Amino acid sequence: MSRPKLLALLCLTVVCAPALAVEPRPLAIAIHGGAGVIDPAKMTPERAASYRAGLAAALDAGYAILERGGSSVEAVTAAVRTLEDDPQFNAGRGAVLDHEGDAELDAAIMDGHGPRAGAVAGVRHVKNPVELARLVMEKSPHVLLVAEGAEEFALEQGMVLVPRDYFRTEARIRELEEARREAGQVKATAPGAGGTVGAVALDGAGHLAAATSTGGITNKHRGRVGDSPIIGAGTYADDGWCAVSGTGQGEFFIRQVVAFDICSLMQYRHLTLAQAVRELIHEKLRRSGGEGGVIAVDRSGNIAMDFNSVGMFRGARDSAGKRVIAMYRDAQ
Amino acid sequence: MYAIAIHGGAGPVPRAMLSELREQRFRAGLEAALDAGCALLARGGSSLDAVSAAVRILEDDPSFNAGHGAALTRDGAAELDAAIMDGRQLRAGAVASVRHVRNPIELARRVMEKSRHVLLVGAGAEEFALEESFALVPNQYFRTAERQEQLECEQRGERVSDLVPAAHGTVGAVALDGDGNLAAATSTGGMTNKRPGRVGDSPIIGAGTYAKNGVCAVSATGHGEYFIRAVAAYHVCAAVEYRALSLQQAVHEMLHGILAGLGGDGGLIAIGADGQIVMDFSTEGMFRGARDSGGRREIAIY
Repeated sequence: MSRPKLLALLCLTVVCAPALAVEPRPLAIAIHGGAGVIDPAKMTPERAASYRAGLAAALDAGYAILERGGSSVEAVTAAVRTLEDDPQFNAGRGAVLDHEGDAELDAAIMDGHGPRAGAVAGVRHVKNPVELARLVMEKSPHVLLVAEGAEEFALEQGMVLVPRDYFRTEARIRELEEARREAGQVKATAPGAGGTVGAVALDGAGHLAAATSTGGITNKHRGRVGDSPIIGAGTYADDGWCAVSGTGQGEFFIRQVVAFDICSLMQYRHLTLAQAVRELIHEKLRRSGGEGGVIAVDRSGNIAMDFNSVGMFRGARDSAGKRVIAMYRDAQ
Repeated sequence: MYAIAIHGGAGPVPRAMLSELREQRFRAGLEAALDAGCALLARGGSSLDAVSAAVRILEDDPSFNAGHGAALTRDGAAELDAAIMDGRQLRAGAVASVRHVRNPIELARRVMEKSRHVLLVGAGAEEFALEESFALVPNQYFRTAERQEQLECEQRGERVSDLVPAAHGTVGAVALDGDGNLAAATSTGGMTNKRPGRVGDSPIIGAGTYAKNGVCAVSATGHGEYFIRAVAAYHVCAAVEYRALSLQQAVHEMLHGILAGLGGDGGLIAIGADGQIVMDFSTEGMFRGARDSGGRREIAIY
């Protein structure tokens, strides 16, 4: 190397050293595929492997975006879209069916930077509801659009609608028939039947985002909307505190404003993310009789995944090397 | 001790444009709603019954943007949202995007009391109404000549719509009863010329409506999207419960700090566990009224 080049390199090193010495900003993503009755006896090794593969695909799709400098909004969208397309999970294709035998889908996304939010509820012909929620956030002045009005907006945005049969899988049709036989009782017979899918992420720019998507509950009353598309209940993100996505008995999450309350407890009671999540899931929600779980990430990249049900399909990955996929209480 | 506060929407209310006759109509409407709610509380009724009664009267009054006389969508139809919350057990019920329910607040209450759900929307909510023996009404029932004119003005790009206040408005009530129970209720037609299917903050528990015994009850009116992002109603409760702010401070910070920072305006009415009433807004005016067992009587616009 010539002297001038070496000098230049030395100068550059000196100039850049302080910047290089700074730790790269943390990246983190967590996903869930529903909480509820996951009967270990019915969980064959094959099924467990299949669920794990589905979760891993979504987790890695989201993390890959963060790793190449993409935003947390893009990462949670990609992760949730992957879970929506996977018929094992209760969102998009393979969502549970309502009393009339249709999938009625809800989804929300929130960008902690702004903050901005978009949500849709009661849509029946939108392949990826989380993408429509994102369009509501980015291309409309609104936050929540429901039913036919939401689908009208989808068409205006150039989305292609799909027929109802796209969503209806054999497994969900059988589940609905079973639920109807049991005198209309709603029973979570398959994993995630009371569930939902969701993702939360922290990107390299320090922005937080959350997204949630669901088919709701099997045999539900037409028009019933749970917590997933309700900003503050099932989905919330604020760059200053945390991003949260919930799953479980939606009505309880709405009444307790669960996702927002976790951020509030961090902000006003100075709890850590894990403490705030624990307070909501094991104290407030349990006291009110509600079952479910949340995944959450804070501005430092800490991840919390907690639930008061038998299990919760979940996964997490961060830039410190953590990568976990789990279903039951013990991270297996 | 009992107390009740109501609102009939917040927004630009140019004094010059509000004729005396029209102002009298608004005042009479607010008075009637307060009378009904207060009479219930005075004879030992629940805060839940009081807010239901007050909101039902405002829904029936064509001057206000809820029920009969609600603002119209860009398709010229009325699409109604409402929510109610019982602070005692944090029970709640809400409906959104209904087009044939005369009193959406009564359907919201029925959702709370007779279903396992909190929120029902669209045709499914009306199906539930029929199951509960509600008589549906044609959409024509809600549409008044005044709202029709307002919609046409808006669609021509004129800002005359402020003639009929509460183009972004809503009606709502909060109450504390003699047993110490808090309740909140909100009902609206949403924004004039809105996109069908658009749902604002009113039926969103935590955003436009919230009640928690021992803390406060809140009902909001204003630019709904901002109230949803700020989780406005519950945020006021959280500020009171977790930070021990006074109700007045919490409401002030929400309207003039958080919402103003996001670029949204509107108003909030709130009532504390001690019966203290706060009515604040960041718009030119808010139709509002309050009464309590201590003799407070108030109706105000500006």
